Amino acid sequence: MARAFLTKLLQTLLVLFIVSIVAFWFLKLAPGDPVMMLLGSEYSPAAHAKLTHDLGLDQPVAVQYVDWLGRFVQGDWGKSYITRADIWTQAVMQALPVTLALSAAALAIALLVGIPVGMIAALKRGGPVDWIVSSVSLLGSAFPSFFLGIVLIWVFGVALGWFPTMGFVRPWEQFWSGMHHLALPAITLAAYYCGLIAITTRASLIEVMEKPFINAVRARGEPMWRVVGVHAMRNVMMPLVTVIGLQLGGLLRGAVMTEVVFAVPGLGMMITTAVLSREYGVVQAGIMLTALFFVLVNLLVDQTYTWLDPRLRSR
Amino acid sequence: MDQKSLKQALAARLEQDFRRRDFLRTMGAGAMLGAGAMMGGGAFVREAIAAEPPKRGGTLTWAQTVPPDTLDPHFTGSLAAIKIHNNIFNGLLKVVYDGKAVSFVPDLAESWEMTDGMTHIFKLRAGVKFHDGGVCDAEAVKWSIERVKDPKTGSPHAWMVASLAGIDVIDALTVRIRYSKPFAFFPVAMNGATGRAGTIVSRKAVEKYGKDFGRNPVGTGPFKFVQWRENEMIELERNPEYFEAGLPYLDKIQIKLVKEPTSAVAAIMSGQVDGMDACPFQLMPMLRSNANLNVYGELEGNYSFLGMNNKRAPFNDPNLRLAIAYAIDRELIVKQGYFGDASPAYSLISPPMSKFFDPNIAKSGRGQFFDLKKAQEYRAKAAIQGEINPVYIATEAFTSNGGSGSRNAQLIIPMLAKIGIKVKLEIMDPAVLTKRRNASDFDLYDEAWQADLDPDETIRPEWSTGVPWNFVGYSNPEFDKLIVQASEIVDVDARKKLYYAAEDIMLQQDAPIALLAHTKVFKIFNKRVEGFKYVPVDLMNMHTVSLKA
Repeated sequence: MARAFLTKLLQTLLVLFIVSIVAFWFLKLAPGDPVMMLLGSEYSPAAHAKLTHDLGLDQPVAVQYVDWLGRFVQGDWGKSYITRADIWTQAVMQALPVTLALSAAALAIALLVGIPVGMIAALKRGGPVDWIVSSVSLLGSAFPSFFLGIVLIWVFGVALGWFPTMGFVRPWEQFWSGMHHLALPAITLAAYYCGLIAITTRASLIEVMEKPFINAVRARGEPMWRVVGVHAMRNVMMPLVTVIGLQLGGLLRGAVMTEVVFAVPGLGMMITTAVLSREYGVVQAGIMLTALFFVLVNLLVDQTYTWLDPRLRSR
Repeated sequence: MDQKSLKQALAARLEQDFRRRDFLRTMGAGAMLGAGAMMGGGAFVREAIAAEPPKRGGTLTWAQTVPPDTLDPHFTGSLAAIKIHNNIFNGLLKVVYDGKAVSFVPDLAESWEMTDGMTHIFKLRAGVKFHDGGVCDAEAVKWSIERVKDPKTGSPHAWMVASLAGIDVIDALTVRIRYSKPFAFFPVAMNGATGRAGTIVSRKAVEKYGKDFGRNPVGTGPFKFVQWRENEMIELERNPEYFEAGLPYLDKIQIKLVKEPTSAVAAIMSGQVDGMDACPFQLMPMLRSNANLNVYGELEGNYSFLGMNNKRAPFNDPNLRLAIAYAIDRELIVKQGYFGDASPAYSLISPPMSKFFDPNIAKSGRGQFFDLKKAQEYRAKAAIQGEINPVYIATEAFTSNGGSGSRNAQLIIPMLAKIGIKVKLEIMDPAVLTKRRNASDFDLYDEAWQADLDPDETIRPEWSTGVPWNFVGYSNPEFDKLIVQASEIVDVDARKKLYYAAEDIMLQQDAPIALLAHTKVFKIFNKRVEGFKYVPVDLMNMHTVSLKA
């Protein structure tokens, strides 16, 4: 057990290390630099050269990388070039919890809506309900999230005035206001997953319901809710967890657009802004946190498998 | 020139009579009763008195689509930051606007006196304190201005005090600022807003925070800095010790940093924010038609232009550049590029600089205008007669004011096609555009210079030989000579003649750029916001603003 854990840990670190190198190099490949953005209308070649030197950006990329890595692992994440914001505070203390809250809310909505809807569609296969669920799910997972976000803003924010159109209130500071602000972005982000989860649930449940053991359970005289809810759904969980795990990356991608549209100050917003102004340190921090999130989700999915399927438990 | 006539000349120059070109749609209840400025003689104009006393308290929020770069006024390169600075800091002078004319009046000073064209004496207000408790006296002013000049500081605004010879502390509340030659730009440089160099910062705070002063700004203004959360908001709170008695009215200001302009528009329409500091032209009709909103916006001191790379082929050929200048239909650009919220630019001098602006410019034959026949004539004289395929660089990003994304490019390209120039449009992100522009790696690009108060500011740092912003590489020694001359005298008529002569050379003979339009700049507020004083240099001054109950 300890050995398995150690192996996982080393794998995680290796992944993060590779990600950090690739991200660092790719960022430097992009044309443009933070100094130009920093100087704005006060640009002059002399000022540019001086500031580039002051920020250490005239060093070779490898030197810059090693310098960054050394400080990063010690917890010194530096400051942004332009606004001089402390990167650790900005990324970990401010942006990360926001994105986690948004993603968790979206995932919760997707599961609470997607699974029951998928189940109903599977059980009413071929009927009008199934047809509606399947079409809406497909539409939901095909609709670009930024566009859906804008539609929701105009309908529920501006025209009806039910929800705030933008911004973020931390639910752990003001719970109800936080939830109120979270509603539209979470629904926007959830739309894709809702559809995906419903489609997956429906397809898997249909397949499982045709398995011989379901007939056996039914023959035993178990009520329908137990047949579906206990026996069949346990088998649906495996493919569902796989799909959710694989698509959590997509959740972060969706969060980028959603955060920009709703002005939610999360990781996605942070990375977008930082990429556009070539804030290498901030982008790097955002990428590292995202990579860590991915790795952790995958570990979690692995754990869930063994919990869902006793056959996978190590002896 | 004796002292009196010199002062009068300068006063006349300063009160450039910024004529109102457009009907000011709305003014808050605290409308100005007249802020006509008296220069010198210790005269200090009391500000407007509202009909009924404004309500104290409340939090005002405004959505800002472009985040500030730094809150250190001596380092900023961004108008987005200056809007915020101006609520935290004061300058020796400030810009006021009475609906017709812009003028400079003392701000931290009680009076401003000129003993000769190069020496200025400021009597400071007594008892002004920085937010950290420090006293803003003559020593503080001297230190702050010298900070900008000190090469060790590395301020990008040092050029504004380049010819500063020295600052003398005469007594605790009197400073004498000596320049080594007359400097027409002085009042702009010393105002707290767009001037930046004359914004007075707390020495104690600068020494305490060092490079991080820009995140911990300490000034003397009506609002104190509270916090700045990245990509989220900046919060300011009322300075109870502000020197203008009774001001400000608001308890708090929250500046919401919203990236997407559509989201900001939705927020102001749903009442979630009280104001917007800027808005893309295409969204203005929607805001104007909303009964809950007041829109402020007039033509400001700006111009947009198509830059042509003078340093390399094909646009190192003046005939080809002139062909383009005549081929551009500016009325169409105004209509479709700026949705009517602009006026065609024939000259570099904007309509609000009315002492210099020629109201008959459209018919005068001066400057640049649309004339396809002339364009074809110049095209026929060009060195390259076959088809030309220049590269036009543009970005889709919303760039606050005057920015049209790639709209201008899309309008200009078919106009150039008519004279056998087939443009290749390259769309890129703003960082790449900035890099290529700064490296003069383009054939064509368009942009706008903003928030200028004086012809000097709008011409000299942009188009002199070798200056940093002259990305097109324009150079004409005769032009350079004229504009330097114009910056070193104060007589308006003499300056005007020099600028017109310089413009004739630049616009009609060399055409390094093709002018496009002078644009409006907008501020939008919910009707519960009262007392906002619009100043046509892109400011969001909250000094006199209050919220209706």
